[in-house]
Amino acid sequence: MTASHALLRRALLSFALLVSASFVGTFLLGGGRAEVSGSGSSNGVNAASLTSQDSPATGSPLAAGRTLFVQNCSSCHGIDASGGNRAPPLLGVGGATVDLWLSSGWMPLAEPTAEPERKPARFDRTEVLEIVRYVTSLAPSFGNPGIPFGLDISHANVAEGFSMFALNCAPCHTITGAGDALADGIQAPPLHGVTKTMVWEAVRTGPGNMPRFGPGTLSSAQVVDIVGYVVKNIQHPFSPGGLSLGGVGPVAEGFVGLFVGVGACLLAALWVGDRTENEEEGGEQDGDDGHDGPESADGHEDGLGGDDHRELEHA
Amino acid sequence: MIDALFNWFDERLGISGSGRKMLNKIFPDHWSFLIGEIALYSFIVLLGTGVFLTLYFVPSSKEVIYEGSYAPLRGQPVSEAFASTLNLSFAVRGGLLMRQMHHWSANIFVGSIVVHMLRIFFTGAFRKPRELNWIVGSTLLILAIFNGFLGYSLPDDLVSGTGIRISFSIVESIPLIGSYAAFFLFGGNFPGNAIIPRFFILHVLVLPAVIVGLLSAHLGMLVRQKHTQFPGRGNTPRNVVGAPLWPTFVAKTTGFMFLTVAVTGVLSAFFQINPVWLYGPYVPYKVSYAVQPDWYMGWLDGALRIMPSWEIVGFGHMIPNVFFPAILLPGITFGVLQMWPFIEARLTHDHAEHQILDRPRDRPKRTAFGAAVFSFYFVLFGASATDVLANYLSISLNVVLTSFRFLAIAVPLIVFPVTYRICKEMQSVPTAGKRKRANVVLRSAEGGYSTVRAEERPGDAVPRVDPLPLDEDLQFVPVMAGVLAGGDVLAEETQPESPAEVDSDRPRSGIFRIPRNYR
Repeated sequence: MTASHALLRRALLSFALLVSASFVGTFLLGGGRAEVSGSGSSNGVNAASLTSQDSPATGSPLAAGRTLFVQNCSSCHGIDASGGNRAPPLLGVGGATVDLWLSSGWMPLAEPTAEPERKPARFDRTEVLEIVRYVTSLAPSFGNPGIPFGLDISHANVAEGFSMFALNCAPCHTITGAGDALADGIQAPPLHGVTKTMVWEAVRTGPGNMPRFGPGTLSSAQVVDIVGYVVKNIQHPFSPGGLSLGGVGPVAEGFVGLFVGVGACLLAALWVGDRTENEEEGGEQDGDDGHDGPESADGHEDGLGGDDHRELEHA
Repeated sequence: MIDALFNWFDERLGISGSGRKMLNKIFPDHWSFLIGEIALYSFIVLLGTGVFLTLYFVPSSKEVIYEGSYAPLRGQPVSEAFASTLNLSFAVRGGLLMRQMHHWSANIFVGSIVVHMLRIFFTGAFRKPRELNWIVGSTLLILAIFNGFLGYSLPDDLVSGTGIRISFSIVESIPLIGSYAAFFLFGGNFPGNAIIPRFFILHVLVLPAVIVGLLSAHLGMLVRQKHTQFPGRGNTPRNVVGAPLWPTFVAKTTGFMFLTVAVTGVLSAFFQINPVWLYGPYVPYKVSYAVQPDWYMGWLDGALRIMPSWEIVGFGHMIPNVFFPAILLPGITFGVLQMWPFIEARLTHDHAEHQILDRPRDRPKRTAFGAAVFSFYFVLFGASATDVLANYLSISLNVVLTSFRFLAIAVPLIVFPVTYRICKEMQSVPTAGKRKRANVVLRSAEGGYSTVRAEERPGDAVPRVDPLPLDEDLQFVPVMAGVLAGGDVLAEETQPESPAEVDSDRPRSGIFRIPRNYR
């Protein structure tokens, strides 16, 4: 499909959603079934998946999500998700954003003033989906992506993914995905221990300080390639040659080279070389060449201490 | 058989005289005298593994499509250098081990040179008559660092390519000649395609040849001037006390060579170094975070990172900021390093010959100065990992950066007086660092207490007289004869005048003392 075609479709869809939202917005709370948004139209992910996975256990399919939202999110984001002094509005952010922030444990915050940090998610998958369904039901999300259900990376081109990763991701997350500190306390988190869904969502939504890589920057195939590279190769690197030293570059290697390599050689020198300064214990140690026998242990301090006869020399 | 072979050579080359002298060469024995040998044997490992690597490495920037076994790069355009590095790592039997040995060995090589140099510095071994050898040695350090950087750059991976990019800018920052020098060295503007072949020939031919030459001069001067020795009973500026080259020293040093190679091998087998396939090929518009150079360039990287953004403008020209940490700092560093023997002699007015080493504590000012300077470079080395530290300590990168600016100034200022004080304290306690001789407290039958000194043990800080006053014109006087010497080893033993006449059956193990002027 051509770019203009896509643009037209997205514009039309957005307009349609806007109109419908203005009409039926109030009913949505009551139990209308939410369309996730126009995300699927341009990035090839089935937007209807959310709907199809919808399985209202209780009377209202949104009741459970609403309860969880009110209990865990509304104190900062407002009871109607319209934001507050401390937190941004969640209206129209799209399912992917909500899912990512909840699954990564960033949200809810440990305390209202804390920085979001990765921690075990408070909600299980079902609860996350309930909340996503509820939040996305509050307002149309205008092209903001939904959750990429059924994301298939089995055919991802990891070579293309590696190239795109080096170009777009490595400048902050490092080429090995180890993560690193950016300016002013901002951190590019490590890419280990995250799911393919989270990687996809992060690329497409740009959480926090991360740039958002929309369909105009990366095609959906490229995103799938990147996700494939991260999940297959960053998280399970082909890593022969022994213990990898944290993937943080040559500083770690330098420390090992100096303290293990040179250190071991120095210990070998201590073992091989004399530790007393050519001064065996006179006649008492006949026949002992100073490298074995009981002398060695004693000579150790002596040798490190160095000169034991200086006083005599200058006496 | 071996005798016959030796005779064959001797009759043609007349080597027995000088060869005998060489075999009788006395080497003072102390573990710290072996540190330089770590460098020597690492260099041998570097040569061996390096030759292996050149068999498979293709020094070319030519772009090829990678078709090797590493899936995440298959079908991608990479340079031939990068492709061949991956190929020798994955497709050549033992190739990755060889590459890792080469790299670890380089780290150990430069590291042991630095430790060796610290030993020389703190014991004052660089003083007259050895200033020349100090200059040769410090030149070797500079060459080793440069060659390490060149070799690190050869695989043409993303991390090392970033380093080349930085070095290009560093050369450019030299006032007046910068851009010309950069274009001259890199064969045009960055990146060009001349870098890899040029670095390659410098790395495998030019610099190794210079290093081999200087290394020979280094060792030749050592043999010619005789080794320094620590002060000790019977060790005087006019003699050399130690073990002869054959068999004692040869046995030791060969064993030590095997140990050094073993350490390198174990490191290479169990610790991954520079996994370039994870970094991918260098592309000028791609960059990774958390990249640093190898540790021996780390202090330069650290200096670049923490340098405040000052720029000096004069006569309509600006001196680029990069110039100060990346050209001026190493220039001063290496200049002072090379000239140190003369600087110190000028400061101390000590122009005498020195064959006996200093104890560091006895030269508190030099020791404190050396420790302070070393701590400065160690802080700079730490500063090359500002981002990694900020990440691991979960503090702001800006805080880490600013802290290092203060640390680079504060740490040396603290280290100097502390070291000086420690030296002074150790001086004032003659038995510092020694095991004290124990006292035994006895209780008598009446209930009174008395103290008697325990029996003396080796290493106890007990003054002893020198048992062996020796005439120094004797050529071989066993001080501590080996097991095979037999007889009364403490007796003065007069040897035949000429070393050539020495009975070849006479064992030459043990500790000997010969006059220093003995050739």
